[in-house]
Amino acid sequence: MKKIINEPTKVVSEFLKGMEKAHPELEYTEKLEVLSRREKSDKVAVISGGGAGHEPAHAGYVGMGMLDAAVTGNVFSSPSPDRIIEAITKMNAGKGVLMIIKNYSGDIMNFGLAKDLAELEDIQVESVVVRDDVAVKDSTYSTGRRGIAGTVFVHKIAGAKAETGASLQEVKAAAEKAIENIRSMGMAMTPCTLPAVGKPGFLLGEDEVEIGMGIHGEPGVMRTTMKTAQETAEILLDKILQDYDYSNSEVALMVNGLGATPLMELYILENEIQTLLEEKQIKVYKTFVGNYMTALDMSGCSVTLMKLDEELKKLLDAPCNTPGLKIG
Amino acid sequence: MGFHLTSKDYANYIRKAYRLIHEKGDYITELDSATGDGDHWININMGFEKLVEAANELEEMTVFEEFKKIGTIMMSVIGGSSGVLYGSAYLAAAKTLKEKETIQNENLCEVLDAMLQAIMSRGNAQPGWKTMIDSLAPAVQCYKDCILNQVDEKTCLSRVKQAAIDGAESTKDMEAVRGRATYQANKGVGHLDPGAVTMSYQIATLMDCVLEKL
Repeated sequence: MKKIINEPTKVVSEFLKGMEKAHPELEYTEKLEVLSRREKSDKVAVISGGGAGHEPAHAGYVGMGMLDAAVTGNVFSSPSPDRIIEAITKMNAGKGVLMIIKNYSGDIMNFGLAKDLAELEDIQVESVVVRDDVAVKDSTYSTGRRGIAGTVFVHKIAGAKAETGASLQEVKAAAEKAIENIRSMGMAMTPCTLPAVGKPGFLLGEDEVEIGMGIHGEPGVMRTTMKTAQETAEILLDKILQDYDYSNSEVALMVNGLGATPLMELYILENEIQTLLEEKQIKVYKTFVGNYMTALDMSGCSVTLMKLDEELKKLLDAPCNTPGLKIG
Repeated sequence: MGFHLTSKDYANYIRKAYRLIHEKGDYITELDSATGDGDHWININMGFEKLVEAANELEEMTVFEEFKKIGTIMMSVIGGSSGVLYGSAYLAAAKTLKEKETIQNENLCEVLDAMLQAIMSRGNAQPGWKTMIDSLAPAVQCYKDCILNQVDEKTCLSRVKQAAIDGAESTKDMEAVRGRATYQANKGVGHLDPGAVTMSYQIATLMDCVLEKL
């Protein structure tokens, strides 16, 4: 294993300390692994989190216009409720807290219990669950679809809505509208290595890729030989379009890298996706290309579409300033 | 008159349950190694150890605060899904004890039922899936039946205890639906579920403690 680390057990606290130093507007709470906005504003607080290893998700989306705090668990494992409750109580400004959860059993349980704890303290908490991955119905760590890169759009939409001074219910409704309109599909080319494990959790042949693999290396839908960018674009997009009707609509497009894929390749893929969408008369309103939701050092990609209406467009365009995403 | 369980009584129960769980370490770990990660006992034992350390403090609280505190400790010390499930169970039970000074017969049934519902909904699991639910669910059902049929408290508590023990025993023939045992060819059939066994220890000890109050 070649990794720039000190000790596997310290990766989470050390990367968060690094983020705090690089971004002085963010504050790190030691031991509880919470990264939050230093400035607490008088609005609904939006928080998210999950296992580490998906950077910049979720800590990288803390800041103006997106999350108020992110809670990090160990690599690929959910944060415990005591960490989540810290983020809730710290950022609650009396207007309530919205939790954005990716659909994994561990996250559902831990965030669910944190919500119960918060309610015992009379803090209003609502939650939304992102299940954008169309690859598989159930998987190793989830009942129902997995939450992947589309979650970043949900952070953006909910965060922007909260900045307008909207109520908890309104922020939740905007997040749910985004979730309904988001679908993603991914592909992996090489496995990832957890720092504490030291070797890959599975193997892929030299010329082999796995379509629909999850962001923790969970099984996808099929293994096949490496295809051209054009063929890959077709496979991923077809699966998304079979699942949800995007025809005659305007969409936000995200072409996401899983950690070890060069941006050049992501842009090549994006170019193909744009061509296909144009053929299908789906208009791309805004495009995002980069590493937004990764799986450590896995190479591969995912494609996400979010169907937009006037409200979602406005919220997508609203300014945000976070380490992982800046608009305006 | 019936029993009145105080926060002090419940703290005493915690001490006794810890003794039993602690004693059974090798046995539980052996069960767990057959089907699971082998860490169930270590985690639950550590949870109860912390509860015992906090027992003097627990005694002084209202039963509502006591249950809340137990839930919080279990959640953070046991960790993993067991920690969340026990934490959820105690918090749900705490809600049924708001403004109560002691726990009486029907309250205790409500407490166990609230725990069962919380574990089922948080874990998204059903009876028959070879989990701790398979000890708790029959115990709750038995308790409800006894109350409905106005069975005297002494008989009732003994029956609940037995139902929990038999329930744990029944996991031997079940196929696992969740967790590591599902990856085995026979889905764990022929092995007891360690989570159900430690649950039955807790219920049995609790019933014994209450019986002593009669």
